[in-house]
Amino acid sequence: MKKALITGITGQDGSYLAELLLSKGYEVHGLIRRASTFNTQRIDHLYRDPHNGEQVHLHLHYGDLANTGNLTDLIYHIQPEEIYHLAAQSHVRVSFDLPEYTADVTGLGTTRILEAIRKSGIQIRFYQASSSEMFGAAKPPQNENTIFEPRSPYAAAKAYAYWMTRNYRQGYGVFACNGILFNHESPRRGETFVTRKITRAVAAIVAGKQQKIYLGNLDAKRDWGYAPDYIAAMWKILQHEKPDDFVIGTGETHSVREFLEEAFNYVGLDWHKHVEIDSRYFRPTEVDILQADARHAFEILGWEPRVFFKDLVRIMVDADMEMIGLQSPGEGQRIIQKHHGDWHRWEDQVPHG
Amino acid sequence: MKALILGVDGQDGSFLTELLLEKGYQVFGWIPSSIPVKFDNIQHLLPLISLSQGNFSDQASLEATLEQVQPDEIYNLASPSSPAASWDSTVYVGDIAGLGVARLLEAIRTVSPRAKFYQASTSELFGNPPESPQNEETPFRPRNPYGISKLYAHWLTVRYREQFGLFTVSGILYNHESPRRGLEFVTRKITHTAAQIKLGMARGIRLGNLEARRDWGYAINYVKAMWQMLQQEHPEDYVIGTGVTHSVREFCQLAFAHLDLDYRDYIYQDPDLFRPEENHELVADYSKAAEKLNWHPEISFDQLVRIMVDADLMLLLEKQK
Repeated sequence: MKKALITGITGQDGSYLAELLLSKGYEVHGLIRRASTFNTQRIDHLYRDPHNGEQVHLHLHYGDLANTGNLTDLIYHIQPEEIYHLAAQSHVRVSFDLPEYTADVTGLGTTRILEAIRKSGIQIRFYQASSSEMFGAAKPPQNENTIFEPRSPYAAAKAYAYWMTRNYRQGYGVFACNGILFNHESPRRGETFVTRKITRAVAAIVAGKQQKIYLGNLDAKRDWGYAPDYIAAMWKILQHEKPDDFVIGTGETHSVREFLEEAFNYVGLDWHKHVEIDSRYFRPTEVDILQADARHAFEILGWEPRVFFKDLVRIMVDADMEMIGLQSPGEGQRIIQKHHGDWHRWEDQVPHG
Repeated sequence: MKALILGVDGQDGSFLTELLLEKGYQVFGWIPSSIPVKFDNIQHLLPLISLSQGNFSDQASLEATLEQVQPDEIYNLASPSSPAASWDSTVYVGDIAGLGVARLLEAIRTVSPRAKFYQASTSELFGNPPESPQNEETPFRPRNPYGISKLYAHWLTVRYREQFGLFTVSGILYNHESPRRGLEFVTRKITHTAAQIKLGMARGIRLGNLEARRDWGYAINYVKAMWQMLQQEHPEDYVIGTGVTHSVREFCQLAFAHLDLDYRDYIYQDPDLFRPEENHELVADYSKAAEKLNWHPEISFDQLVRIMVDADLMLLLEKQK
């Protein structure tokens, strides 16, 4: 049985990746941070209590990316074949307020893991969650050869981690890969990210619990894909015969305004009546347009996105409506059944209980 | 005017101190409290400057220094500086050379937002560059943990300028040498050992790839460029170098010839000291600095080598007395 270690397992990507790997028969180990509140709701449905005599394939470990010794011990004891490093301080706007913390976790955290892998002497394949934010002001579309122009402390820390990953591959021969993922969303996206903020607001407005939503820059354009599609790409990157870096995205780009339009229209509402602009949500320096040129992944990995913009919005609105207890239009469920019959199911989208 | 120099004990810090004292600055030197510091380069300056200590891992200590000094100009020259050794301490180098600058910039933004800030960047940012020579527009492709950490610090320096309107500049300096260069660097190793050989104190020298080529300048010229960058109306980044490369072999030949020796009689090539060579050589296109700062290298390669050999000879003779 293959063993994988996932950092950031409680996040959007980590939870989907755990589902994918469990469905493929992996023993999955997740690194979680000790916090005063339990934050495992995205993986609770995967947890099996060993006291019930059930087969347990998911194991959680307390760990800290700021602590090298602890990471070295964990890697040595688990002896994973694959490590997916997804944990980060991942909020771009917040990184302007917390540059040091962002750099320590998002930047140096990667170096600590790479160093732990090297010291362990174990043959481990390493996936680094790189981000399209690294491209910043670079002209779209962006691919593996595009020059980074990071526009935030988050992007600078991710670019640092990208280069460390490449240098450990070239300098030490570690099987270390960068997946440069463009924005990917889902019903499990954090509630402070703009897409999720919008779809949650739509549900709350339909339910009569809320009237207004406050947003920042509506003109920012992003290449938004569906997170479970991107998780499949992560896995493929580590199964490839040689370590390499890949851009992952849909190739389409849409503005926040278009997202609003699509989400509100889907439930028959006019977004103009509900949206207010709040300058506090503007980033000090904005990234204007991100658009992926993912041909390298299409050709080498045979990966391609299945869910595009319009369908993505519908999945997210449906899920948020159901979570709030409303009857959804139901397109989302049909879209997932059509494109993701295998490991990824609608029922797991919406937290139960 | 008050200047704070972080890394005042190093080659560049000591020359910059001399330059600023000459210009009438009040100079405050900062040295790390976490590692032992050698005062060889600044012994003669200690009566003229104020020293403080701090820790790049601790933002509060940096803020305390800024509060105490209230500097008009801040020069960050403090960093582990050996690219090759950075492979042995990747996390440490990232913490000091990279993250340390994030802490320093945040401290400046909080405590001294009107101070001008100079960040010591390096040609290691270019690493394995796609073109030659390199200027301010050349893409960065760092190839060791030192270069990567310095690149992160460079980006943050640019970010704080564009985002918060701070006067921050990043000077991308190519190799610059002098008699105060550390003995672990190849140039100083050659001149020091050559002088030892001349005096019968050594028999030979172990070197890596003799064909490796570098853009070597004279450190005293380079600290002047640092100061000039902070005197401009607008903060911008500049590449500083000579625009010419020479091989380690040429350096040896000149150094030994200056002592009437033939380098071929004393060199042992050690494959362990080889660094992988780049496809394009690291050489500066300093036309922006020439145009905007009117900066030019003032000392030729031959002169640089002779200055260093003479100084090492003097140093050893002094010690012998």
